[in-house]
Amino acid sequence: MSVRRAGAIALRILQQFRHDRRTLVLVFGAPIIILGLFYFLTGGGSSLPAIDVVNRDRGPLGAIVGAGLESSTQVTARQTSAARAASDLSSDTIAAYIVFPGDFSAAVTASDVIAPQVHLEGTEPGLTQPVLLALDQSITRAARQLDQTGGARVPVLEPSVDYLHGGPTLDTLDYFGAAFIGLVVFLLVFVVTIIAFLRERSQGTLERLMASPLRRADIVVGYMAGFMVVAAVQSVEVVVFTLYVLHVHNQGDLAAIVLITLLMTLVAVNLGVLLSMFATTEFQAVQFIPLAIVPQVLLSGIIFPVSSEPVWLQVLSKLLPLTYGVDGLRDVMLKGNGLTSGAVLLDIGVVAAFAVALVVAATATLRRRVS
Amino acid sequence: MNPGPAAVSVEAVVKHFGPIRALDGVSLTVPTGQIYGLLGPNGAGKTTLIRSLVGLIAAETGTVTVLGRRMPDREILAAVGYMPQSPALYADLSVEENVRFFASVHGLDREAGARGATEALELVDLAARRHSVVATLSGGMRQRVSLACAVVHRPRLLLLDEPTVGVDPQLRAELWERFARMSGEGTTIIVSSHVMDEAERCQRLGLVRFGRMLAEGSAADLRRRAGVERLEDAFLALSAGGS
Repeated sequence: MSVRRAGAIALRILQQFRHDRRTLVLVFGAPIIILGLFYFLTGGGSSLPAIDVVNRDRGPLGAIVGAGLESSTQVTARQTSAARAASDLSSDTIAAYIVFPGDFSAAVTASDVIAPQVHLEGTEPGLTQPVLLALDQSITRAARQLDQTGGARVPVLEPSVDYLHGGPTLDTLDYFGAAFIGLVVFLLVFVVTIIAFLRERSQGTLERLMASPLRRADIVVGYMAGFMVVAAVQSVEVVVFTLYVLHVHNQGDLAAIVLITLLMTLVAVNLGVLLSMFATTEFQAVQFIPLAIVPQVLLSGIIFPVSSEPVWLQVLSKLLPLTYGVDGLRDVMLKGNGLTSGAVLLDIGVVAAFAVALVVAATATLRRRVS
Repeated sequence: MNPGPAAVSVEAVVKHFGPIRALDGVSLTVPTGQIYGLLGPNGAGKTTLIRSLVGLIAAETGTVTVLGRRMPDREILAAVGYMPQSPALYADLSVEENVRFFASVHGLDREAGARGATEALELVDLAARRHSVVATLSGGMRQRVSLACAVVHRPRLLLLDEPTVGVDPQLRAELWERFARMSGEGTTIIVSSHVMDEAERCQRLGLVRFGRMLAEGSAADLRRRAGVERLEDAFLALSAGGS
């Protein structure tokens, strides 16, 4: 090996980096963005799951555990009525509510079993864990407090848990399957489109198209139509494979799943066309992939529930199309909603609006890239 | 020869790319049916001038009129054929698929597209390779496919940006015979080149440098004006005068 020759190659690579500002920004900027997101999503300033506490206990314990939950660092708890709690749960404003029954204190004294009723929303596993942890911690603290004052023994925690949606029979795949359908089609279609459209420019054929009677809208809509044929087949394939081969839990309408998936591919095609405008080489286009995909994966609620994000990140989440696709698919597959559900229709509407906005944006920026 | 109405008329066009003045008030008139050669060294503005004729570049000042329409005008492009400098083709499609795609893009229906493709591929002598995938062709063959794509819709105006780069001398001579025949049938052809024997075949030449038209006329005119015998020397002499 020659140090001089190897050195020449190393130097050339650094020179290329120096000329490619966009790559530099990505190489040094992306880690900060991605790690920063992880920080905020996994605790640093994140929002706590909201829960309601319904205290019907005739003894002292319910009030003590309830107060413990209210001061918990795992959840944001609020005491309310059973009716209010049930309606909060079904409208998705809380992750769970906990009821301390009338004989809550009495049961502990009689049998050493502590049995609160936990009602979980059930579609977001990321929210279940902190609720159970907070309950456990509050009870342990309450027991210790009672131990000092009244001499009770440490009771056994046996909560009765029920789920509004899903339930203990669902496994991890069931929770993530719904979201992953949306993610997989979105990712693959996006990658294929951004590269294909960039090639159109780098091989010079886009210039040829722009020197023909074609309108910009013809080009963008044509791209969309062509890729949609492939994407539609892929969507059906992904849905069939997920539901009938992997047997991922589905309670909802198959048509709604396919429709949402198709709309996601539509968004992906147009996002690919649009972002390819801002890349001049395939090298740069490839760099858009982590930049467009990783934040969406982190922020769309696939792994970390949107409601547990810091408020400012929730705003960002709500600007991303994948958030609505994932939410819609979960609504259908885990909650059993269909095309008659307002929540599902809203998600579908928002994803469709993203698709239209991206078509317009892609068409508008097409001229920029030719001359 | 009696020149018809102008197929192309460029008046005092200016275009910058950043600090570079690519076109510096260039003017040009090409009558219908003429073969007009744009000569000039690399970076003279030939390609920029041709691209402004198909609306890929908007003039900052001045006007570009093509086939009676003020550019940019998308509709008139159906009657214009443009062959870019590098053979812009879909490498993963066959020769015929490429040519027929550009036929559709210019508004030809299925039948007219098939007929146009057959004629265009005969013109460039590639009828036998019509089913070959473009990626498997040599550079010269790709250049010919690119030309076929530019003529498939029988344009009234044909713009060729260095069409014979990488084409062997024999085929180059054949292509020029075909250009002459198309010109005889009324097609106006504007061709950029820096190959002098090609320039001799043009009815009129424009010498472009620094984005300006330095001299115009037939090959004989230019030689006479420079007082030299070879067109190449005339080109050098007239270029030096303009700098």
